[in-house]
Amino acid sequence: MNDDQLNKLFAAARQAPPDTGRAEFGFETRLLARLRAVRQGELPWFVWTWRLAPVFAAVVIALGVWNFTAPTDPLAEIISDTSDEAALVAMLTGE
Amino acid sequence: MGAPDGELTDERLIQSTLAGDDEAFAELVRRHKHRVFSIAARFTRSDAELDDLSQEIFIKAYRQLAKFRGEAPFEHWLARVAVRTCYDHLRKSRHDRDAVALDDVELPSTDNIEPRRAREVLDFALAKLSPEERLVITLLELQERTVREIAALTGWSEANVKVRAFRARQSLKKILETHHER
Repeated sequence: MNDDQLNKLFAAARQAPPDTGRAEFGFETRLLARLRAVRQGELPWFVWTWRLAPVFAAVVIALGVWNFTAPTDPLAEIISDTSDEAALVAMLTGE
Repeated sequence: MGAPDGELTDERLIQSTLAGDDEAFAELVRRHKHRVFSIAARFTRSDAELDDLSQEIFIKAYRQLAKFRGEAPFEHWLARVAVRTCYDHLRKSRHDRDAVALDDVELPSTDNIEPRRAREVLDFALAKLSPEERLVITLLELQERTVREIAALTGWSEANVKVRAFRARQSLKKILETHHER
């Protein structure tokens, strides 16, 4: 196929523009309905912070409860009771 | 678009739309939908696909309406949104390239080809081009836009548009020749 033939093909195709009449009918109504649906689906970020507030509150309460009820480590208590100097003397003297 | 006496201008309708008036936006759509449909129809294969793509274009325009500065007519700005949305649509539907079939009837001579048949043949061949090539050749040859207009619509340089148009023509010739030989 040469350029001339291609140009003739384009010229002929231009004479038959697509018929958009059917798709245009009632388009505004369908578009506004979709637009409303899109707007309802899109929530601003600050709405999400409010929606997530109960989750954050639950996490804070759970951490608080765990802090008071979690079993303490006995070894950690001994270490905290003994001063560094006493520990050093005990190690050097073998007591 | 200049509004006849007593009719609100596009700028006025845009202001009302931005203030939350949906009816004003509906009027804008009513005024410009034919132009948008004419652009989008060259890149779709069914009424449903055309409807969907046109809705996407107007929703994008609605979201970007605050960016419209009024430096160019609204229809030019809208055409730019339409062309870029069509380009995105072509890129997303690349895998559908081979879905367009042309029956095995031999291609008629281009001297006296019927307009509808010419469109079918071109739809088949255009579907096999890359999205860039298809967009450029459609705007240039089927919508008879100038290289400068296409550059403004797509955001590509004029040199780029010319190169892509040249490549698109070469590819089209090759595709149609191959089909003709079968």
